[in-house]
Amino acid sequence: MKIPPVEPGTVGPCPVAPDALQGIKRQQTNPARWNGAGWQDFVAELRASGVELAEGAAACGVYATDAGGTAYGQPHGVVLARSAGQVSLLLKAAQAHRVPVTVRGGGLTTEGESVAFGGVLLDMSGMSRVLGVDAAALTVRTEAGIYWHALAEELRRENLDYLSAPLNLTSSVGGTLGVGGIDVNSARLGCSADQAISLQVVTPTGEIVECSDSENAELFQRVIFGYGQFGVITEATLRVRPYTPLAMHYYYYSSLRTAIEDLQMLDRNDASDYSGILTIMDCAVNLLVAFDSDEREAAFRKNWESRLRGHGEFGFALCMAGHYALRPWKLGEALYLLQRKQAVFPEFRRPEYMRDGKMHDRTVVFSRAVWKHWGSRQMVIPDLATSADKFIEAVERGNAICRQYFTHYTLYCVGIKLRPEHKPHYEMSCVPPDAEGWAYGCEFEPMIEGGIYSRDHFQAFKNAIYDVGLDLGASYYRFGGMMKGYIRRVFGDALVDRHLAMKRRADPALILNRDVIF
Amino acid sequence: MPATLARAPAAPRDYAACSGCNLCQLVCPMWRSHRDPRFTPAGMAKALQYGATAAWLAAPVEACSLCGACDPVCPEGIDLPGLVMDLRLQLANSLPSPNPALLDDLRARLQQGAAAPVVSRSAPLLLPGADLRADAALLARVQALLGLAIADDDGADIALALELGVEIPQHRLQQFLASLNGHSIVAADGLLLRQLRRWLPGSQRMGLGAALSSRPAVRSNLLATDLYVIEARGYHADYERMVAYYDRLQLETGCALNLDLQRIAIPAVAQGLSQKLEVAPGDDGAQAKWILKGRRPARIVVESMADCAAFERVCDLPVVHLAELGEDPEMIKRRPHAFG
Ligand SMILES: Cc1cc2nc3c(=O)[nH]c(=O)nc-3n(C[C@H](O)[C@H](O)[C@H](O)COP(=O)(O)OP(=O)(O)OC[C@H]3O[C@@H](n4cnc5c(N)ncnc54)[C@H](O)[C@@H]3O)c2cc1C
Ligand code: SF4
Ligand code: SF4
Repeated sequence: MKIPPVEPGTVGPCPVAPDALQGIKRQQTNPARWNGAGWQDFVAELRASGVELAEGAAACGVYATDAGGTAYGQPHGVVLARSAGQVSLLLKAAQAHRVPVTVRGGGLTTEGESVAFGGVLLDMSGMSRVLGVDAAALTVRTEAGIYWHALAEELRRENLDYLSAPLNLTSSVGGTLGVGGIDVNSARLGCSADQAISLQVVTPTGEIVECSDSENAELFQRVIFGYGQFGVITEATLRVRPYTPLAMHYYYYSSLRTAIEDLQMLDRNDASDYSGILTIMDCAVNLLVAFDSDEREAAFRKNWESRLRGHGEFGFALCMAGHYALRPWKLGEALYLLQRKQAVFPEFRRPEYMRDGKMHDRTVVFSRAVWKHWGSRQMVIPDLATSADKFIEAVERGNAICRQYFTHYTLYCVGIKLRPEHKPHYEMSCVPPDAEGWAYGCEFEPMIEGGIYSRDHFQAFKNAIYDVGLDLGASYYRFGGMMKGYIRRVFGDALVDRHLAMKRRADPALILNRDVIF
Repeated sequence: MPATLARAPAAPRDYAACSGCNLCQLVCPMWRSHRDPRFTPAGMAKALQYGATAAWLAAPVEACSLCGACDPVCPEGIDLPGLVMDLRLQLANSLPSPNPALLDDLRARLQQGAAAPVVSRSAPLLLPGADLRADAALLARVQALLGLAIADDDGADIALALELGVEIPQHRLQQFLASLNGHSIVAADGLLLRQLRRWLPGSQRMGLGAALSSRPAVRSNLLATDLYVIEARGYHADYERMVAYYDRLQLETGCALNLDLQRIAIPAVAQGLSQKLEVAPGDDGAQAKWILKGRRPARIVVESMADCAAFERVCDLPVVHLAELGEDPEMIKRRPHAFG
């Protein structure tokens, strides 16, 4: 292992200068670095008020990029969140000195939203304790910097589980509530943001406010799905549920369209507890269906399974063998499929996660597979969210774009059950305005596979996907983040200006997570 | 400067490969106690990517307990405990030690080496390590259960050097490895076991816990009401095999294990360099308390002597070493509560 021979105190120049993003065409989101005006006075005030701020490469380098790995920036200093009171002091000082504050949870954004281009990086992971579990009421109160998986570890000691969370283990509760959060049970339980019962929020001007649908409802509506524009979420009360292992079923399709039709049929009929699509190749599409109870599984087998047009693993292998036997020139494709099957399938069947045919700790199984097989230092995950009826077209068009840009890629599609009473939460969010009942999301994830692509290539790919969304009047479920350059074109000036006016009232110096949306 | 072979010849991939996924943070006891990203493997790897030196990372490098939990979870296959050991070596070479006497003594022992082995070639060997050697009765019990010869040279000095970041003279290491050549090995020290996997890749090695718990006399005495505490370092050193081994053990006996949802062993003790150098108070019990949270076992069964002490400090449940699980009346007299 090579440790670089750098002497203490000799850090190279900041890797992000205003011209560091040259070559990224038009709709790029990443802002120029903040110029640092008044930084020393701000730091002095902050330290005088007892807030610890770390500077220097050892403290800041950790935050140089997000999971996307294409946007690079460094804060001037880092504050590790410890309490709402401390966050409040920070935001008050930042307002007074007009110092930008970028909040970071797990840092799993892919467009640089959790990267600080100068100013303060507020790392919420320092506030990551579970404050109380109410097993009778099925709720948990937690600090919002906690990663979902760390929350799951605590809940499991009470035989409880959260409702739904991103399949990556290390996104935080606060970051996800501000973004959306999709799981393979979202078609039934809704997105993660819909689990929140109430929040403690520190507003951009430093007030500590408890909010919910009945208390400070307007703030609650703006903070949920709000991409950190209207406050820092410091605590959250979430709904939880009893833990159950899953009975999993996989069906294989050679047509994306047919698989989506079947997925939507299952969702409409509440036929399963979990459902989603993962593609391996255009002609190898996996629909996964899973159940929390034997009763639900039996009802599915009786009423719905025969309506699915996919095959079991063995039947599909036979179909594929026949398909490629007639097309020997596609041997390379067949080998890729086989190699993918051999690499990925065993991950989902590891014996230590299976008991009596049921999968335990599915989030671990899925997430570890995601990181192992899809994770890399650069992750480009543009997505589209549409109403149910536009979804097939969106996915097919997005798929064609993936084909154009990358050799191999995966699509991940899930339904998101909407809660009519949460309509005000959904305004200017990942939930498309025309969606009723369910929204559908598709993530388009190229397999980088050690390949070297320029940032321009990635950016052009993302733009092409987002352009489909524009064309269809879709939204973006913010898997990969909503690119700032698209906000006005997606939502229109009137709505964006109304939100901007609210933002200006709430955050007069526009310090909090600026440049992410407005 | 003496040649060193203190770590694996080659790390699978180095810190430059870190993607920042933070999976290592989820399992890191250092993170649990500090809740500061600088005190995580990801934090160290990222800081190194951005130009930090060993000296800048002194605090986390010293706080790390080398439990190895971060190793199997890293999707990039970075040898994270190896990275920490490397940084410790660098620190030891560049900063004054808070306990120079202890280090000088260790260096002298390493230079001096050990007596030539007397065990016949190919007989299986037990490397008991310092803790087990200190308890003669328990060591005798372990030996009786396993039927193994005790190695004269159990590499305790090498294990300590690995831990403290002290260079191991090549002649000493080669002497030790030569004494093990051709033997199957049962090692109580998880860190040593980890290194032996790299140093003697073709050899047959096993941790003390797995060796003992595979004995019918021990296994048959494990109960569904037990909390079985796996020694973390040895488990993570041979993760793929150990996951399967303990999964079977759990299925057969019904006992609870100190595994988290990722099937990573939660270490019962988290001692950094300062504790090992005896310049800071010992373990604060936080890890043992976390293992016990929400669990109500009738008895705690441990593989490691250090874990025994950790649980005895934080709860009044009966705590018993695995080797004591046989039906030896002497043992039953020693810890009557553990046998109901
Ligand atoms: C490999 C991978 C897999 C993924 N899988 C899924 C998936 O299955 N489902 C899914 O929905 N998403 C998924 N995502 C996207 C990712 O999970 C979301 O972007 C994530 O939920 C964000 O959480 P975070 O804690 O990482 O937030 P961050 O990335 O840290 O922040 C997100 C935004 O919220 C702000 N923010 C963060 N914390 C707070 C806070 N406490 N208060 C106010 N604002 C805050 C930040 O400034 C930023 O603008 C995946 C991403 C990756 C890289
Ligand atoms: S070895 Fe253990 S304490 Fe050290 S960094 Fe890894 S998980 Fe953390
Ligand atoms: S698990 Fe590995 S790749 Fe992920 S953050 Fe830790 S060191 Fe980096």
